[in-house]
Amino acid sequence: MKILLMGHPNVGKSVFFNRLTGANVTESNYPGTTVDFTKGYMKIGGEDAELIDVPGTFSLDPKDKAEEVAVAMLHENKDVKVICVIDASKIERGVYLALEILEEGYPMVIALNMWDAAVDKNIRIDINNLQRILGVTVVPTVAISGEGIKELTLRLKEAKPVEIDDIIKNTGGLT
Amino acid sequence: MKLTIDQRWDIIDKIAKQTVTFGEYKHTLKDAIGELTIKPLTGVPIAIAVMYAFWSIFGSFAGTLFTDGFMVKLFDGYFLPWMQDIFPGAGGWLYYIIVGDPLADNCFEAFGMLTSGLFVAIGVVLPAIFIFYLMLALLEDMGYMPRLAVLIDTVLHKIGLHGYAIVPTILSLGCNVPGVTATRILETRKQRFIMMTLLAIFIPCGAQIGIMEEVIPDTMGWVLLYLIIGYFIFGYILNKIVPGKSPEFLIDVPPYRKPMLSNLTKKVWGRIAGFFKVAIPFVLLGCGIVNVLYLAGFIDWVGNVLSPVFVLWFGVPEATAGPLIAAFLRKDLAVAQLSVIEMTPYQMISAVVLVSIYFPCVATFAMMIKEGAKELLGALAVLFAVVFLYGGLIHLIGILMGVA
Repeated sequence: MKILLMGHPNVGKSVFFNRLTGANVTESNYPGTTVDFTKGYMKIGGEDAELIDVPGTFSLDPKDKAEEVAVAMLHENKDVKVICVIDASKIERGVYLALEILEEGYPMVIALNMWDAAVDKNIRIDINNLQRILGVTVVPTVAISGEGIKELTLRLKEAKPVEIDDIIKNTGGLT
Repeated sequence: MKLTIDQRWDIIDKIAKQTVTFGEYKHTLKDAIGELTIKPLTGVPIAIAVMYAFWSIFGSFAGTLFTDGFMVKLFDGYFLPWMQDIFPGAGGWLYYIIVGDPLADNCFEAFGMLTSGLFVAIGVVLPAIFIFYLMLALLEDMGYMPRLAVLIDTVLHKIGLHGYAIVPTILSLGCNVPGVTATRILETRKQRFIMMTLLAIFIPCGAQIGIMEEVIPDTMGWVLLYLIIGYFIFGYILNKIVPGKSPEFLIDVPPYRKPMLSNLTKKVWGRIAGFFKVAIPFVLLGCGIVNVLYLAGFIDWVGNVLSPVFVLWFGVPEATAGPLIAAFLRKDLAVAQLSVIEMTPYQMISAVVLVSIYFPCVATFAMMIKEGAKELLGALAVLFAVVFLYGGLIHLIGILMGVA
């Protein structure tokens, strides 16, 4: 099994990567820390899985070379599952990237990372409703402290492609 | 099914309305500090203070405390005499390569692989890169870098870049290699080319700064000034002549976060481990190669052939040929070697600037090939022009000031 960590810059993908694989890629608090991909290995339910950390990207329409690497990794690996990491305080734009990836038919689970910061800012997210609308497993996480990481790995098997039509229906149709 | 951009935002709007509620948000102290450090009126003085603190901690920790206070005493007082004593065959070629000058009373003059090589690597550069990466990791993990990027944005637009070019620039101050890779965060080929060229030419690495701090503490300010001015002059020119666009940048300034000790240790340790694995062998090897080239008479020959260029155009002694060859392997080694050549303070400034700008070290060179061979060719063309023009200009300034 191959798993790709996708998400905006500076949402904590590399922190996830290090936590999940025990690797040592650089983690910093600024966008653009990761500019190349790194592969690592982990066990999920006794099965070997390859996890790939890629540079952050705002969309699948790359605007610099680091983003090109991310998009190319997605497109070169048609059989991957995607962990889409989203900043819980900024879910709108995170969901934008998630939609783009879902449109291309990739199976996905979403990690709503930096959940603690969202709570501090008094932002409340109805996880169940978000899961229902998107049809995708959503796990709140705090990657640096490790909260939610276990649940995320356990629920990775729930990753499946979804029909965009269903999402549209669940939101009540396009305007 | 593919959506249009508008459809996507339409869906997201609806999703957000149904799933997210925003409570009242209170301004915290962290936000207040965040704003103070990014608004120009308060941010610029704070940035200057931060850089100054960085610089003085670097100098006092690496130079004064570790190297002068401890390493110099250890190496010059015990290690060098011991090596000179126990190594057989004083005056022979093997002795010359490994230990160097049998009469030298300090590790800069000896210039053997295991005397100067080890001293430069462990006694001078190791403390320098340790403190550099520790402070860099602190700034990175706190989230200060993007704020610096915003503050310096206007200035960097003048040289065809934008604020975020501060990231490859600062990374290069540690080591040019990750600096070259970090140019990937710039949007256009023009920006990447300008950034790569400027950093390869004008940004001295941590190892080089560490050794300058040790051997030319009084004049290194001039060296750095010449490099900074060169960075902007040639950046300005490149911006005018290189075709392409230099777009604005949009950046998410992350909130300040408390750096985690575990991550700091991991990052610094990673750097130190890399230094032991890659840099130390290179310093020792470089020292050995240079010694062999001296023994073979090659360096004196190059010095003789290029003597008119060195003496008349650049105003430095022809003995500078040796360090310039060493500089291709390691810049720190080259500066260490320069420090024992007889010359005036101004010649020393010119020579150290030349060592910095004349060619990227082999590790940087290899990374530039990987990141874009075409860009590399262009960068080299610029480099030769810059070395010739800027080197001559520095000499001219020296003549006009009456110090060259």
